Amino acid sequence: MSWSPLVAFGVTLLVAPALPGVATRTRSFLTGRRGPPVLQLYYEIAKLLRKRAVYSATTTWVFRAGPIVGLAAAVLSACLLPLDGRGALAGFPGDFVLFAGLLALGRFGLILAALDTGSSFEGMGASREAMVGAFAEAGLFLSFTALVMATGQPALTGMLGAPLAAGWSASLPALVMIGVSLFVLLLAEASRVPVDDPATHLELTMIHEVAVLDQSGPDLALVLYGSALRFTLLAALTALVLAPRGALAAPAALVALPMGLLVIAAVVGVVEATMARLRLNRVPQLLVATSALAAFAMILVLARS
Amino acid sequence: MSGPAELVLLLVVLASFLVLGTARLSTGVRAVAFQGVLLGLVPLLLFPTWSWHRAALAAGTMAIKGVIVPRFLLWAIREAAVRREMEPRLGYVPSLLLGTVVLAVAFALAGRWPVPEGGGTLLVPVAVATVVHGLLVLTASRKAVTQVVGYIMMENGIYLFGLTQAERVPFLVELGVLLDVFVGVFIMGIVVFHINREFDSIKASRLVEGAE
Amino acid sequence: MPQLFFAGLSVIVAGGLAALVPSRTPGRMERVFAALVAAGCVLVALAALRVLVGGDAWEVRVAASVPGGAWVFGIDALSAFFLVAIAGVGAAAAVYGATYLAAERSHGGVPFAHAAVAVLLVTLALVVTARAVVPFLLAWEVMAIANFLLVMFDHERADTRRSGIIYLVATHTATLTLIGMFAIWSASAHDLTFASLARAASTPAAGLGAVLVLALFGFGVKAGFVPLHFWLPGAHAAAPSHVSALMSGLVIKTGIYGLLRVIALAGGAPEWCGWTLLGLGVVSGVLGVVWALAQHDIKRLLAYHSVENIGIILIGMGVGALGTAYGLPAVAALGYAGAILHVLNHAVFKGLLFLGAGAVTRAAGTRRLDALGGLGRLMPMTWLAFLLGSVAIVGLPPLNGFVSEWMIVQALLGAGLGKGAIRAAVFGVAALGLIGGLALACFTKVNGVVFLGRARTAEAAAGREVGPGLFVPMLGLAAVCTLIGLLPAFVVRPALAAAEVVIGGDAGAHTVDPGTGAAWVGAAAAALIAFAAMGWVAYRVLMRDRSRVVAQTWGCAFSNPTPRMQYTATSFAAPVLEPFGAVAGLSVSHQGEEYRTHPRDPWLEGVILPAWRRLRAAVARAQELQLGRLHVSLLYVFATVVALLWYLASRQVP
Repeated sequence: MSWSPLVAFGVTLLVAPALPGVATRTRSFLTGRRGPPVLQLYYEIAKLLRKRAVYSATTTWVFRAGPIVGLAAAVLSACLLPLDGRGALAGFPGDFVLFAGLLALGRFGLILAALDTGSSFEGMGASREAMVGAFAEAGLFLSFTALVMATGQPALTGMLGAPLAAGWSASLPALVMIGVSLFVLLLAEASRVPVDDPATHLELTMIHEVAVLDQSGPDLALVLYGSALRFTLLAALTALVLAPRGALAAPAALVALPMGLLVIAAVVGVVEATMARLRLNRVPQLLVATSALAAFAMILVLARS
Repeated sequence: MSGPAELVLLLVVLASFLVLGTARLSTGVRAVAFQGVLLGLVPLLLFPTWSWHRAALAAGTMAIKGVIVPRFLLWAIREAAVRREMEPRLGYVPSLLLGTVVLAVAFALAGRWPVPEGGGTLLVPVAVATVVHGLLVLTASRKAVTQVVGYIMMENGIYLFGLTQAERVPFLVELGVLLDVFVGVFIMGIVVFHINREFDSIKASRLVEGAE
Repeated sequence: MPQLFFAGLSVIVAGGLAALVPSRTPGRMERVFAALVAAGCVLVALAALRVLVGGDAWEVRVAASVPGGAWVFGIDALSAFFLVAIAGVGAAAAVYGATYLAAERSHGGVPFAHAAVAVLLVTLALVVTARAVVPFLLAWEVMAIANFLLVMFDHERADTRRSGIIYLVATHTATLTLIGMFAIWSASAHDLTFASLARAASTPAAGLGAVLVLALFGFGVKAGFVPLHFWLPGAHAAAPSHVSALMSGLVIKTGIYGLLRVIALAGGAPEWCGWTLLGLGVVSGVLGVVWALAQHDIKRLLAYHSVENIGIILIGMGVGALGTAYGLPAVAALGYAGAILHVLNHAVFKGLLFLGAGAVTRAAGTRRLDALGGLGRLMPMTWLAFLLGSVAIVGLPPLNGFVSEWMIVQALLGAGLGKGAIRAAVFGVAALGLIGGLALACFTKVNGVVFLGRARTAEAAAGREVGPGLFVPMLGLAAVCTLIGLLPAFVVRPALAAAEVVIGGDAGAHTVDPGTGAAWVGAAAAALIAFAAMGWVAYRVLMRDRSRVVAQTWGCAFSNPTPRMQYTATSFAAPVLEPFGAVAGLSVSHQGEEYRTHPRDPWLEGVILPAWRRLRAAVARAQELQLGRLHVSLLYVFATVVALLWYLASRQVP
């Protein structure tokens, strides 16, 4: 197998913890503060891996298995994306269903780990995570299907790689709309404003942070890395749709990969700085509106061909 | 169909979706204002022959639909102390879903209506969709102000529809703009009678109640 | 071959008879029953597998000495696939039931319940192998009656009686409709075998439109899609758990089998039928899972999930029918094969979930979700099996639900990439996504509230693991889910063969290569399990020398949390249900400090029951004509005779 997808995979796994840092730093910068260092998450993960863990007496093996399953699912889904813009490590027709299924499996593990503690806070977080996941899934499927219709390719390698670059000018408005809806889904999956505010410290207003309230030590390190990896995967997806790299030669495409990720993370930071978090019962509305946007993109693609 | 014209029509549809999905009344009014500005641009982009008449018409449309009517509406909202939420009868999510279905059906049936081909492939479906979206907002709203917003959207759709005939029928576009005068009557009604909730018919008894 | 199949059926019948024999040692006859039924199911499965792995379809004619023509039975790929599901889930449920009902021996009627299960299994097998109208309808009706008797096992309870009566009315409406359908169809056929019905279908005089509408209605009531699902939740909740597993896993699938067989005999479904199936599938799928989220009772919740999965099967069938109508053989093959595979997958994981629900009910004494909790520690085997069943039903990799969902999505994508109006079908993918997301919310709720955390009531805290007679069948079904997930090619190929029967077998299925995609799915499942296992091992190595600190769950410095403070199932589902508004059917009552939610089935209580009441009122008014007095009745007879004489006189003599 060629070296380019493998290197891109490695770079993505390595760069992942930097992206939430870039987003937070951009947000702080725009709101007049200096903010934590960009590499903060690396230091936190390293520190947590050295610590002991504190477990609640109520928890069982599910509490410890949840973050591990989530991380395994996220790493496997990274193998499906053509991160270097040309080819993925593995792919088959309809593999976007596997991609969405793996993200859902990660969420499943997270919710069960939260409910395992028997805490009302974590139960609340679990319920809200389930709500966000339920409405985000339709939008994710619609975005992928619109990409399949636009490029005629049933596998992720095809619909995000070279054929996308070729089809860009033909269906530009539709692809921009798909890119925007994927960006909103990124905000939902990575628990960023306007879906969830990672900087709040009031448990009753959190979604993701409160679902992992009881995790500590290495478990928390796994959770943090898993979330950063999910952020990175969806950012890579958005970057691949909005700026297809299929036409670039291999080394240039590999340099473009982290640059694209950092740009998306910075845009997330800008959005966080300019918007307020939505009221919780408005979040499904936002996600349905995103699905409607992706549906509109699909209508345009179908009407054109 | 040229790129900029297409882009403008897509933005018109996105503005309708914003009206359907937003919770804030002022955002809805601003979206419809934005739609009006776009509508002023459409004839300029569709019919490339330039004339002072055309330019003046475009500027006038943008002024009336984009600036004067929305300002009037926002003033009416303040004067009548209307609550600032959209409050659709159906609910936000069903409105959005229904709007998407309407859009899909409009695109699917675009080829079948007996409308002469003027203005490219997007104009007819977008026009029909905007009219139906406006009707949706009009019938499913609880307040007089949102009914006015729905009426303006419907009117925008009719205006777009009329553009397919603009080459053949003189003064059609100007007549369309005159419909905006009717909007003014609605708005005056709201302010004069302080009607915060809906009105469905102007009955004398209602007028007396409203004036109390 | 026929001997193997009929031998298997006879062994099952023998098992049923054995259960009826009174014996001094309690439980001995039940063990004999379980062993015989399991053995019979193995024989039936072998006969079916013979046909599936490259054997030829066979047919057997029994003499035409009864009115209604010859009785024909046969197994082809379609029947064989359904038979494998029947045999597998049937064996597990029968073995489970033998132990489950042992605790209710004082209740009386237990031997008859076991015999009825045997009858149910035999008639299920006969329904999917009958090749003539009379044996089909006979088996169908006996199956419905056996099912009714099993639903009414707890007949002392009023809600069981109510659910049973609604079920009886619904199933007989279905049977009547089917009789009408066969009557119309066979009017232009020369005898009552399916083969001559198929020949008649190609003639235009057959009235195929009416036949298809009646089939949709009749088989639809049995399958339980919206709006014909109203009998389902009550009946599935009232029956004993192994019967619910049989009903949800197998009996409702006979409705699907009937629809597939009608489509096969009619030579393909027309376009309107495809769009109808797709639309009904989307509506049933979404509404089923929304209503499931609102339920407080674990078995009603699982019953509504059956409605949802039937919806998914219908989506597959709809896109398959559209594929044949638009001349896209690959789409047709994938659509039907995905639907047929989902029949097997759903039978396995739904059977597993119902058996698990039965174990939970037995251990904790209640079906109410908000009274349970913490059962995972007390019942680890049941918990493991239930968790695997939940992952499967949500359609997550690496288990079997994912495989059929992937196939149906592929069919929808193929439809979207085709030409013509069929491309609109691709929006069905959004429905599948929404259904998956809502199902995830529902099953995390069930697993979390029932098995995790701490017990919310004393009865739940007293629960203990059930005996191996109950959890071994569950673990067996869970193992099947995992195997199908890891080696999907083994089931995808037979499913495509069965789809070929439905499409008409004219080179359709061979355009789809089942190998590559399915092999990748299996490889991905294996990779996922491998990554997770490696991660777990690495984690243990990392934590090997560190001491663990055990403390209380963090409650923001509140030091005295009680189990009642945990999140309840109702609260968990509330944010997910809120955007659906009145459609979710959740009514809220507020009394002082108490806040209760009541799930209602909007269709049953908003449409069916008011219509029924209005019908009864109209009939009551008509009843006034029957005054019961002699001279009035004589007057009616006189009036009828006069009318008849006048009619006979005024008619034109031909």
